[in-house]
Amino acid sequence: MKPDKKVPVSEDEINFSVNGDLYKVRVQSNWTLQYVLHDELGLTGSKELCNEGACGACAVIIDGRPVLSCMTLAIECDGQTIETVEGIARAKHPLVEAYVKHSCMQCGYCTPGFIVTAKALLDKNPSPAEEEIKEALVGNLCRCGTYPQHIKAVLEAANNLHRGQPI
Amino acid sequence: MSSDEMSKIQELFDNLKSDKYPLEEYRSVGKRGVRRIDGYEKATGYAKYTMDVQLPGMLYARFLTSPYPHAEIKSLDTSKAEALPGVRAVLRYDDPELPPGADLGGHETSDVPVLPKVAHFQGEEVGAIVAADSEEIAEHALALIEAEWEERPFVLDPEEAMQPGAPLVNPEAFPDGNITNQDQGIDVEEHGDVEKGFAEADKIVEFKFSQGLNTWIGPECPCGVFRWNGEYPEVWVKQQRPHICKRAIASWFGGIPMNKIQIHCLYQGASFGGWSQMPWNMGGHYCAAVIAKRTGRPVKWMFNRREDFYGGEMDIGIYYFKAGAKLDGTITAVKGRAVVVNQGMPVFGFVKHFAENTRIPNIYGKTEAVLVNKGPTTATRCEQNSNCYCLNEVFSHLADALGLDPVEVALKNDGAEGHDITWLNEQKTKLGFPVKDSLKECVEKGKAAIGWDEKWHLPGTKRLPNGKLHGLGFTWTHEWDDSGGTSEIAIRIERNDGTATILGCRSDVGVNAETAYCQVAADELGMRIEDVHYKAQVDATFFAMTPDTSTNMSVNGFAVRNAARLLKRQVLEAATIRRGVTQLGSAPPAFPGKKPEDLDIKDSVIYEKANPSNRKTLAELAKFAGAQGPICSPKGEPFRTGQPYLQYTYTQPLFAHSWQVQMGTYADVRLRFCRQAHFMEVEVDEETGEVEVKKVVTVNDVGRVINWEGCEGQQYGGAYMGIGRGRSEEVVHDPLTGVMLNGNLLNYKIPTMLDIGSIDTILVETGMGYGPYGLVGIGEDVATVTPTLIGPAVHNAIGKWVDDFPITPDRVLKALGKA
Ligand code: FES
Ligand code: FES
Repeated sequence: MKPDKKVPVSEDEINFSVNGDLYKVRVQSNWTLQYVLHDELGLTGSKELCNEGACGACAVIIDGRPVLSCMTLAIECDGQTIETVEGIARAKHPLVEAYVKHSCMQCGYCTPGFIVTAKALLDKNPSPAEEEIKEALVGNLCRCGTYPQHIKAVLEAANNLHRGQPI
Repeated sequence: MSSDEMSKIQELFDNLKSDKYPLEEYRSVGKRGVRRIDGYEKATGYAKYTMDVQLPGMLYARFLTSPYPHAEIKSLDTSKAEALPGVRAVLRYDDPELPPGADLGGHETSDVPVLPKVAHFQGEEVGAIVAADSEEIAEHALALIEAEWEERPFVLDPEEAMQPGAPLVNPEAFPDGNITNQDQGIDVEEHGDVEKGFAEADKIVEFKFSQGLNTWIGPECPCGVFRWNGEYPEVWVKQQRPHICKRAIASWFGGIPMNKIQIHCLYQGASFGGWSQMPWNMGGHYCAAVIAKRTGRPVKWMFNRREDFYGGEMDIGIYYFKAGAKLDGTITAVKGRAVVVNQGMPVFGFVKHFAENTRIPNIYGKTEAVLVNKGPTTATRCEQNSNCYCLNEVFSHLADALGLDPVEVALKNDGAEGHDITWLNEQKTKLGFPVKDSLKECVEKGKAAIGWDEKWHLPGTKRLPNGKLHGLGFTWTHEWDDSGGTSEIAIRIERNDGTATILGCRSDVGVNAETAYCQVAADELGMRIEDVHYKAQVDATFFAMTPDTSTNMSVNGFAVRNAARLLKRQVLEAATIRRGVTQLGSAPPAFPGKKPEDLDIKDSVIYEKANPSNRKTLAELAKFAGAQGPICSPKGEPFRTGQPYLQYTYTQPLFAHSWQVQMGTYADVRLRFCRQAHFMEVEVDEETGEVEVKKVVTVNDVGRVINWEGCEGQQYGGAYMGIGRGRSEEVVHDPLTGVMLNGNLLNYKIPTMLDIGSIDTILVETGMGYGPYGLVGIGEDVATVTPTLIGPAVHNAIGKWVDDFPITPDRVLKALGKA
C-alpha cells in the first residue's frame, strides 16, 4: 500500500467475491486490492514485490483477466469476482502439480503470481504455443531466474487439462 | 553409537581428501523427478514469509531516511509525528536507551550505531523510526517529522575519492582519508616475479575495465518482527544466517541467554547473500525490540523496494591490468591493481582465480578499498565476482591479442598454483580422486552445444542476413568448492509408521536443499524417498550451514549422511536386541539370533541378507504408539492379558545426532579440481547498440549431482541473473545531488522471460569435489561467472572491447565510435 499523503482519505464498504466466497469489507479509498487481500483477508499468496506494477507477483484474476492488485484500488472492486492463487489451489488446477513437478520455484516469492497469470492464459487459450506462454508471462519477474521451467509446466498443465486429468 | 562408524565420520572432518566412504548404490541421489518438498506450499501461496507475519496488536515500523548523500541531523522535531492518532512510538537517535554501538549482524560481529545521526549516503536509515497501528500511519508520521540537516560535501567517484583533498566520505569512522586499507599488506597477493614473467612474454596487453554498481534485488524486502514474550524475545528474521541473528540478539540489553531466545526463520524471498551479510542488517530488529518493550506490542519493521536498493555488489570498482603471454598462449605474468568501493566485508583479493585455476607462475594483485557516498556493498551471490571478471578479461584480451581461440588458451593454462595440469593430476591421485580433466570435459560438451567449431570466427567478421553482428563468447573458472563450515543434524524414526524425520535449521532461499538432504538420508538409511522428510527447525537450533558459501550440500550433506549412518547402525542394533527391557522383563528381539551385520535395510524394510524373506518394516520395529505412548500395547495393559510380556515390545527411541566440521578452500588448504565453462551467442545491432543474447550454454562440473532439478535451477537462474548484471543492471546516482535515480524495478532492469533466447544446462560429474560423494556446491557460481561472459561475446561480434560493465547500448555505441 502506498498512501498518497496529499489526497483526503474516505472510507466505504465494498462487496466482492473472492474465490467464490462473498466478502463485505470496509476499505479506505487509498487501499490497494493487494493490501486488502494480503493484510485484511489473510490471502497472503498475492505478494508485494515491486509495488508499482512492474513484476506481477501480486496478480489476481478479475473477470477472467490477470490484474495487478498493487495497482488496483480496492474501492473499485465493489461487485467484482476475484480469483487468487488460493482459489486456484483449492480447485486443484493442474497448473499447481505441473509447477511442483517442473520445479518452477526457487525462493517462491514470485510463484503465485506466475500461476495466477498462467491460469488466466489457460482460461482464455487452453492450448497455448510456447511463444504465447512467453508473451503471457513476460510481465512476471523472477529474480531467481526460474523462467525456462514455467514454459514446460504450463505446456504440461494445458495437456493435462485437455485429457481431463485434474492433477 | 558405533565407535567404528563414528571414527569413519571423524576421519572425514576437515575433508582434505576425496570421500573415502561413498555408497555402493544410489536409489534416490542423482535421480530425476524427486518431488521438491516445498513445491506445493510455494506454488499455492501457502508458504509463509516474514513479510506475511501478522500478530495480534502488531505495530508497523518505518525508518526516516536521508534525502542527502552526506548530512548530519542538527535538530529533529518529532512532536507532530508523535501526536498523530495511531502512532504508538517514535524512537529517536538521541534516545537514552540506545547504546553508542551494538552488534547488528554482518559477516563478523559488529559494533555500529543503531540509529545514526549522520547519513553517509542518500537513503540511509537515520535519526528516527516510527511505529504505528498501520504502515500507512507510520508513513504519514514520517512525513510530519521536521529535521534540520547540515549538508556536507560528498564524493561519488572512487578515483576522485582517492585524490588528496577529496571530501571525507565518513569522517566519523575514517577521519584520515577515504582509502580504508592503507598500509595493510593483506591486500596484496603475490606469487613469483611478474617482471621476470613480462620479460619472458612475446606479447603484452594492458587495459582497464570497470564494473558498475549492481545489486541483489531480494524479492521479499528486508523486514522482521520482534515480540517480547514476557521477559524473552521471539523474533522473525528474513536472514540467510539465522544463527548470526541469534548471536547478535544475545548480546543486546546487557545479554540474553541463547536458550531464552526464540528465532523463526521462515521461507525467504531470497537475498542472494546481499542483505543478509550487510553490516547493520539487524538495526531494524534492535529498534523494534526497544519499541516492543515500551509499547508491549509486537513490532514489524520493513524496508520498501527502494530501500532494498541501498546496498550493492562488493566488486564494483576499477581494475587495471598488464598481462603477458608467449605466442602459443602460455601466460607468463599477470599484474593488476583494483580500486573497490564501500566494502562491508573484509577486502577480498581479485587475482585468486589465477592462482587457484592456472599454471601462471607470476601473479601480482593489489586492492585499494575506497569509500564513496553511496550505500555499502557486500557479497552478492558471491564475493568472487571480481575474480571471475579479472580471469575472463585477462584471458580474453590475451587470446585476442595473440589471435588464438580463447578455449585453447584456457586449456593451455589450466592448472593450479603455478603448476600445469600434469602436476594437478598427480595431486588428484595422491588425494584419492579420480583423475579427470574437468575443464576439457566441460569445454567439449559446451562447444558441441553452442556449435563453437562451426560458428566461432575472428572478432568483428560475421554479419548476419538480418544485418546484425554475430558474436560468440566463452569464459571459465573453477567450481565453488569453498565449503567451510559446521553443521549439526539429527534424524529420528517416527513411531507408528517408521518414517524418518530430519531435524535441522531452516534457511531456505529456494535452492531446494531440503529435498536433497532427504535424498541423502533416504539412500543412507535404505529408505524410500517418500518416507523421509525434512522438518525444519524454525529456530536456529541444530545449527546448519546456510546457502552462503555454497555449503548446503558440501557441509550439511555430510552432516545428514553422518547422522543417517549412525541411525542406521542404531536401527540394526535395535532389531537384534531384546526390547522393552524393564524391571518387569523384556520381549524378544525383532530378529532373534541375528547380529546387526546380518541385516540391511532396503525400501524401508529391514531384512536378513542371507534370507531376504526374513523381513520387517521399519514401522514394525518402531512400533505402535498407544494411549500412553509407545510403551503400551494396543491390546490392553500387559499384566491384565495374563501374558504380561508378549505385547510389551517397546523399541528404544531411534534418534541419532551428528555433525560435520571443515575448513574449506578459503583457508588455502585445498586445491580445486572441478571446473565450469560457459558459452554465449549474441547478435549486436550496430545502429542501436542493443545486444541480443540468443543462446547461453552453461556447463558445470558439480562433481556429483544429488538433485538434478535443483542444480539445473541454479544454472537457469544463475544465467538470468548473471546476464542481467552483465548487460542491463546498474544503479545510477545523480552526480550533482548524490541521489539514487533508479531504485525501482521499472528503471533498474532485471531480466524477463524474453531476455535470453535459450539456455542449455549441462552437468558434468567427475566426482572430484571434496563434498560427500565427490560433490561441490553450485548455488553461487553461475550468477557470479556469467556476467563476465557478455564481454568476450560482444567483442567477438563488434571487434572492439567494451570494458565497462554492464554492457549497455550506450557503451556499445561508444566503443563503435558512434556516441
Ligand atoms: S507487486 Fe504488483 S506488480 Fe509488482
Ligand atoms: S522464485 Fe524467487 S523470485 Fe521467482
